[in-house]
Amino acid sequence: MTDAESSAPPNSRDSRRTYELEDLGFNEVPKKWRKFYRHWTGPGDELAPNEILCPVCKVVIRSGREFRPGDKVYCMPCMSRMVVVEGPGGRLEAEVVF
Amino acid sequence: MDELEPHSLGDEEFDDETHSFEFWFGAVEGYLSDRPYGHRPATVEEPLDKRERDRLITTLCNYCTGETAALEGASGLVRLAPNHNAKIFMATQVVDEARHLEVFLRRLADLGVSDPDAEIARRANPALLEFKAALLALVGNEDWSAAVFAQNVILETMEYTVFRAHADNADPVTAEVLRGVISDERRHLGFGETHIGRGLADGSADRSRLQEVRGDLEAMVLRVFEDALDDAGVPPDERPELGRDYLEAVDRLGMAL
Amino acid sequence: MADFLSQYSIQRWLEMCPQGYLEDTVYGRGAEEHEPEELLGDEDLLESEISTTVQLVVGERCALAASSGLINAAPDFPSKRFLATQTLDEARHVEVFTQRLYDLGVKKGDLESTVDRYANPNLVKFAEVLLEKVDDGDFIAGVVGQNIVLEGMAFSVFEMMEAGNRDPNPKFAHTLTGTIADERRHVGFGENRIGALIREHPEKKPEIEKMQQEMTFYMLATFADAFADAPPPPPDPERAAAEWHGTDLATATPEEMEAVLANTVLGEFKTRLGRIGLEYQTPVGVG
Repeated sequence: MTDAESSAPPNSRDSRRTYELEDLGFNEVPKKWRKFYRHWTGPGDELAPNEILCPVCKVVIRSGREFRPGDKVYCMPCMSRMVVVEGPGGRLEAEVVF
Repeated sequence: MDELEPHSLGDEEFDDETHSFEFWFGAVEGYLSDRPYGHRPATVEEPLDKRERDRLITTLCNYCTGETAALEGASGLVRLAPNHNAKIFMATQVVDEARHLEVFLRRLADLGVSDPDAEIARRANPALLEFKAALLALVGNEDWSAAVFAQNVILETMEYTVFRAHADNADPVTAEVLRGVISDERRHLGFGETHIGRGLADGSADRSRLQEVRGDLEAMVLRVFEDALDDAGVPPDERPELGRDYLEAVDRLGMAL
Repeated sequence: MADFLSQYSIQRWLEMCPQGYLEDTVYGRGAEEHEPEELLGDEDLLESEISTTVQLVVGERCALAASSGLINAAPDFPSKRFLATQTLDEARHVEVFTQRLYDLGVKKGDLESTVDRYANPNLVKFAEVLLEKVDDGDFIAGVVGQNIVLEGMAFSVFEMMEAGNRDPNPKFAHTLTGTIADERRHVGFGENRIGALIREHPEKKPEIEKMQQEMTFYMLATFADAFADAPPPPPDPERAAAEWHGTDLATATPEEMEAVLANTVLGEFKTRLGRIGLEYQTPVGVG
């Protein structure tokens, strides 16, 4: 868990939690996009509900709201387009879309 | 969270954004500013004993050979690229590869190598030279998909794994240089996988041709990088399963054997 | 050779361009700069600017193909390294001029049809002459064609356009300023590297001079077409003078502009070619 949960009420349409993103030092994309990514520290790195691991380049992708299956997700560091799916054990994973 | 997120861009908008010079420019500014030749001037050199130095020189000579192959491959691919975005992306890759070659040559000079060409010729792994010839033949034959697969999927994915393992075990200066290279490689391998994946999906890439290229080249590259990990002194228990990232990539492409 | 090439390293390029004169620019100009309203609202002027910008895109696409294609033919690493930076410079030029087409109202989906519609056939032939040498892996001829002839032409064209746009269109003038700074390196490399190679390979001179003659022919034909189609400058007493090589571009007729551009480019060719040991060949017709 790396971002503060927003004090704003959840989105009324899908009641998702929202987050205030901070720049966590990922500097491999232009400044305006940096807070949407962070370095992955390995298998022990616990991902927050608004985070998902890019299977292509192993960078953590972040969003201002929690991810749900079916969400579109973009990894700018490796330019991959993905969709969120539910993996084994209900864990959310990103699946590359070509 | 009303602000623009990358995930809310349209597919075309995302491709236009990430394949541009402007994007490249903003990205490298983040991790190359204040790092002339890939490392901070204040980073302190760690003394290496004779054997460590010799092994590092061999590793760097092989990295230089790989980067020369990548530079020549990418430059030949600019003209073959099927669209505007791919051409501009390939041009950024050309300069990335030239920078890698430059920083590795600089590191060889730091280690006292006065004639890098001779040293590289003496130490280059023959399998890597064989790979380079095969890659340039694909480029020469204007076989765009096969060449992108060879360069940006096979070569770059394995390099990415090896550079990360090496960076975790290297002296501080070499580690910084490698981390900058790794940041570039993320773009290259991502472009390769995405481009080939889309080509297979829309029929512009020939699956059987790519399987053929895979059969011809992957064992060659795997062997080279196993040797590189030996030379880099990465302890066996800290070694990643070298082929794992690569096999995951070909699996995502639907090309698992 | 190695000494002068050491100033063309990737490191120096990074310090000069992305971390130097391009810092804080967006598509080569200030983030808040726009095309002038008078231009966007005048259909004829807009079409003329789109046509002009298409020629820049065509020229830069050729330069991108040529510089990347020459990397494999380069005989040494420092030359490969320089051409790698040039490849990215040219890609950036393609991008900023393409962006200008979008700024002028060309739709993304119409880009290629717009380029096809307005590309000058003589400029396309100019590019073909150069790319034939690149395809043959002829490094010396390729660099003369690219870095002396094409870049020499681009350098003067950009300078003239920058001078002419400084007052009426600062946004476009700023875009051009960055490309001019890039071209300076390219022509410098061409002269410095090729001078030595021509001395080593004097047998190449006739073939290279023939290429220069053909490229010059198509270049002059392009200029003639471009200025024949150009609208005369609208009378504007408010507009500041734009002196370039002794001509006020704010008031010059298309014929006067063509003359000053052609004379300047040819003068530069003669000087640059002379410095690398080649004799300028006057075009006499091709075919």
